[in-house]
Amino acid sequence: MIIRDRLEISGMEEKYMICEDSPEGIFTAIYDAYALREGHEHIHIQVGEEDDRRLFAVYLHSSPDLGKTEKVVRTLRRRLGEEVYLTLCQAAASRYMDKGEAVYRTVVSGITEGNGRRTMENLRDPYVARCFALARRTANEVHHEIEFLRFRELEQGALYAKIGPENNVLPFVMPHFADRLSVENFMIHDVGRGLFGVHRAGQTWYLVSDTEGFPEESLRWSREEEKYQELFCLFCRTIGIEERENRALQRQMFPLRFREYTVEF
Amino acid sequence: MEARIAPQMPVMEKLKILAAAAKYDVSCSSSGSSRRNDGTGIGNTLAAGICHSFAADGRCISLLKILFTNECIYDCRYCINRCSNDVPRASFTPDEVCSLTMEFYRRNYIEGLFLSSGILYSPSYTMELICETLHKLRTVHRFQGYIHVKAIPGADPTLIQRAGYLADRMSVNLEMATAEGLKEMAPNKHRKNILQPMRQIQNGITANQNELALYRHAPHFCEAGQSTQMVIGALPESDYQIMSVAENLYDKFSLKRVYYSAFVNVNGDKALPAAASEPPLLREHRLYQADWLLRFYDFRVEELLTQDRPNFNLAIDPKTDWAVRHLENFPVEINRADYRTLLRVPGVGVKSARRIVAARRFGSLRFEDLKKMGVVLKRALYFITCSGRMMYPTRLEEDYIVRNLTYQNQMGRGEKLPFMTDGTVYRQMSLWDDGLLSG
Ligand code: SF4
Repeated sequence: MIIRDRLEISGMEEKYMICEDSPEGIFTAIYDAYALREGHEHIHIQVGEEDDRRLFAVYLHSSPDLGKTEKVVRTLRRRLGEEVYLTLCQAAASRYMDKGEAVYRTVVSGITEGNGRRTMENLRDPYVARCFALARRTANEVHHEIEFLRFRELEQGALYAKIGPENNVLPFVMPHFADRLSVENFMIHDVGRGLFGVHRAGQTWYLVSDTEGFPEESLRWSREEEKYQELFCLFCRTIGIEERENRALQRQMFPLRFREYTVEF
Repeated sequence: MEARIAPQMPVMEKLKILAAAAKYDVSCSSSGSSRRNDGTGIGNTLAAGICHSFAADGRCISLLKILFTNECIYDCRYCINRCSNDVPRASFTPDEVCSLTMEFYRRNYIEGLFLSSGILYSPSYTMELICETLHKLRTVHRFQGYIHVKAIPGADPTLIQRAGYLADRMSVNLEMATAEGLKEMAPNKHRKNILQPMRQIQNGITANQNELALYRHAPHFCEAGQSTQMVIGALPESDYQIMSVAENLYDKFSLKRVYYSAFVNVNGDKALPAAASEPPLLREHRLYQADWLLRFYDFRVEELLTQDRPNFNLAIDPKTDWAVRHLENFPVEINRADYRTLLRVPGVGVKSARRIVAARRFGSLRFEDLKKMGVVLKRALYFITCSGRMMYPTRLEEDYIVRNLTYQNQMGRGEKLPFMTDGTVYRQMSLWDDGLLSG
């Protein structure tokens, strides 16, 4: 009790801003944290639920808000530059829940402490380092999906791909394919999150989330689809050199969790 | 003349023959050019390499790597397609290559096409077919993905020029490190004929850069540069000879990459080594590591090897090997050393060196910070200090460090080799030092 009293007297209560698990959720929480105008030392951002209730903590709820998000994004891009902003977005897409705090503290170090475009270079700071590590994991997975996802051709000629990423990579994967396959109609389906990236030939892409349940069983493949899958399997089998066979290396380079969605394994 | 291209053979059959025939060509990389899509067809290229799959040998599959034909009028000793071999032969038609490329590409199986070929009738005849194929792919199909094409030595220079404007990368295989070696292994090829198109492509690239500086919209010529490959381990050339040739190619021919291909004795040639089927993979690996040191770490071959010490130490990587023989340069103080000095520390890579230089502006770095920056501490710790202190008390002695590092390898905690991970130990290694890799 004594301790509690002391804390209250000095106003050192820890405040936890609870926010939704999405980039908008995190950016809105950052806006709300700044709006408190209490400095940042005793404010924290927690993504998801207020699970382990801490003693002597105050919980505040922040719900995603487009206007606040846009303001934060504009400030981040202007003050920290595109590169740092991209890193923060990648960290915010991570599957690890400590990302809220890591992104928040990194923003504070960039804006309030004035590290600006250099923010991500200060890897001595544990939050910056964590943000950097989370962003790198997301970026690696984005790269892997760009390599390993496979489209199948539907009857009407559109392409469909299924992915099951650990992090929320779809928003980063879409621009790549929208550029590369600009003249195609295609759709990428994040099975775990029930999220779809949709692209129509010659238009910009968008994300839709699946609320009704997607009738995957009703998809019909084109007449040629099976032939090309077979040709590619044959190619992959043929191109390896028997004298150098090394399944362990193959496993290391092509993680098993991606194979479920390919055609050649 | 068209008679030998047999369209009646099913594509499945052709792909089987012509992919198998192309598999010994190493370069499968798709990196080096960066081009956005223009909205008229499919495709773009990325500066970073993309591997779409991995074959059973653990090598990356990035491009549809095929021969146009495995017919050949030449008789190279190391090649399965040489004219004296009785193997099934096939040739694609340009249309077949185009549809395979387009359909594989849309499905995200590949980054593009790697087209090589045996020599049908004559070098120029073959090169013409290749050009026709690429032209169709670029104009009729509007394909904007990556294309790597072989220049066939001896083909008409105008054809090579034409191919250069259609491809992202061209390569001419040097095949053997020395001219005598080439004569012995490929009696129909001559060093001069190989270097000539290499020079032509180099000049084409330089001229194109000037053109592009003047007219931004000028067509690109081999945007991703030129590469080559050498077979290693078929003849008794030393690593010193091989690396000196590579260095020369980088310096004098501005090559983007030199590839090293561990010799596989496909024809069971008794006069050549490794009839027993094991290609010199560890040696190949050391050559690639050294090649990396030349291209990104500012090393020269003379620093790594000499006439008297002409081969790499198979037990430790070339950079560590250099470091333990130059202990007078160490330990290096992480908080003060310049970028170039940091690059020479074993366990510090290009990225981690950059991160160190950037991060220490905010305050001095500790060992735990280095870890977050990607420094491999178990290798670096012998060679560095942070604010004057070493991580552990160690001795700056060659034997001591080598013993410790090889002990780590032995315990499976040290250097990660791309093979041996499942107990497939390359024989030469166990001969060299039995017990080194057991356990
Ligand atoms: S030129 Fe030599 S290496 Fe090339 S396909 Fe013919 S025999 Fe083989």
